[in-house]
Amino acid sequence: MESLAARVRSARTPRARQKDGWRAAVFLAPALLLLILFVYAPALLALGLGFFHYHLLGIGTTWAGLTNFRSALRYSLFWTALRNTLLYALIMVPVTLIGALLLAQLLCGPGKYVGFLRTLILLPYITPVIATAIGWLWIFNPQYGLLNSLMSWLGLPVHQWMQSPTWALPAVAMYTLWHGLGFDMIIALAALASLPKSVSEAAQIDGAGPATIFFRVTLPLLTPTLFFLLVITTIGSLQAFSQIYALSGGQGGPEYATTTLIFLIYQTAFQYYHFSYAAAMAVLLVLLILGLTLFQNWLSKRWVFYQ
Amino acid sequence: MVERRRQLWRHVGLIVGLAILLFPLIWTLFSSLESSSHAASFPGSLIPQFHYQNYVHAWEAAPWGRYFFNTILIATLTTALVLITSLGAAYAFGMHEFPGKRVLFWLVLSVLMIPTELNIIPQYLLFADLHWLNTYQVQIIPWAASTFGIFLIRQFVMSLPRDLFDAARIDGAGELAILWHVVAPLVIPALVTVGVYVFLGSYNAFLWPLIVTNGHAVRPIEVGLASFRTGNNSEYTQLSAAAVFTTLPVLVFFLIAQRYIVESISRTGVRG
Repeated sequence: MESLAARVRSARTPRARQKDGWRAAVFLAPALLLLILFVYAPALLALGLGFFHYHLLGIGTTWAGLTNFRSALRYSLFWTALRNTLLYALIMVPVTLIGALLLAQLLCGPGKYVGFLRTLILLPYITPVIATAIGWLWIFNPQYGLLNSLMSWLGLPVHQWMQSPTWALPAVAMYTLWHGLGFDMIIALAALASLPKSVSEAAQIDGAGPATIFFRVTLPLLTPTLFFLLVITTIGSLQAFSQIYALSGGQGGPEYATTTLIFLIYQTAFQYYHFSYAAAMAVLLVLLILGLTLFQNWLSKRWVFYQ
Repeated sequence: MVERRRQLWRHVGLIVGLAILLFPLIWTLFSSLESSSHAASFPGSLIPQFHYQNYVHAWEAAPWGRYFFNTILIATLTTALVLITSLGAAYAFGMHEFPGKRVLFWLVLSVLMIPTELNIIPQYLLFADLHWLNTYQVQIIPWAASTFGIFLIRQFVMSLPRDLFDAARIDGAGELAILWHVVAPLVIPALVTVGVYVFLGSYNAFLWPLIVTNGHAVRPIEVGLASFRTGNNSEYTQLSAAAVFTTLPVLVFFLIAQRYIVESISRTGVRG
């Protein structure tokens, strides 16, 4: 027994801890090296790249100062893309938040098939975008598409959807909602399920109706989750790429209507090979994301309720 | 009475929602089985047909077998590497004491704040310099470490009793033996959750493989499907057939692993 205790003690001495440090380093090294090489180093390079005129393989690269940034800001397509990006986020964010909350309310609680539905609703989220966008293109088809049939059946005006400069971006948003809402719903549902029952029960006993309970009790308690969803939906919609590529046939059209900033960056870098110019635009996009996130964070102090 | 009406509305809402959810998938399946003359008229589409030849033609029109092989290879290797690097790092962070631990952990977490669009251009240039474009490794190595993986597995490792670890050491077990025989079996749920998440992300990856591959040799299925679509063959029924057989493996995977997929989302909400 004695010797065992001694061995236990020696396993926890400073010298053992020093050895611990070396062992830990060996286990950490692969992950850390990969992150430094493929995330941190490129991020630093990206910040610098915009200040050069870069040529492939680095041959003949020259200092550019602010030229790339200045010409991006003078490029009318950059502003079109910025407008599209913001418009897209403006559609996506409120609809996603309200939709996720509503669905979570519907799917909360017991019921045999409700549990099954909770899982099923996640199905679109895991499907490959390029594949499921093919089905949706047919739904958006102006002549034979289901959406226009439905619109005229409901007595609503029909649109050209992916062929209309006005309706293409909302159509992309519609597809993205179908694809991604389940993800947001799961998060809202997890938050809803963790709410203390006692509070809403107390309100019920005090005679509050379901609407009052929802707006005065449930919603304030959910604000931290809503804030989280707000931030990730904003960032997610500023980064949307695959669905735009798939639905616009890799064009960002019609008439640049679905050319968002990330799409413009992709085209500038990988179709026209203006790498530094694209990097300058990427820095501007990141500044936009950062600015919006900080703004939302500042605003959140006014409406997020922490228990 | 009021309660019953509310329940009724809830069910109506759920049924409408379910229809919206499943319709695009069923629609694609039906159009993949239509004769091409039929597909162009809307009401006819709802009557199922069985022109399985669309699948034969679509399958013959592009090297799908190659695409599938590439995707499975890339996704499997990426997942395996992520699990190895994450388990190692999680073990170090969760069970060891060493100087700079907090700073290093913060370094790992702050990766989440670096947006991908900032990185793709320098990453591409880096791999162009290395002559790695159009290879398998360019689609695997940059994604072989995952912050989400490290974070989630660390949570599990930290919840293990330290005595277990000390006891194994006192019994003279080496570090690798402890990791493999003591820690790993106890964090299997975390490993599965991370594995499922990474595998799905890799299967559905699009922007990066689109940029770094050209030609069929190492191209994954998603990029293959996109090029099949923009290629000369855009017969709708065949396109739908291709969409069906590229989605099918994910659906099967979802049915098997759905518990872990839901888990990975409600755990931290890291978006893919």
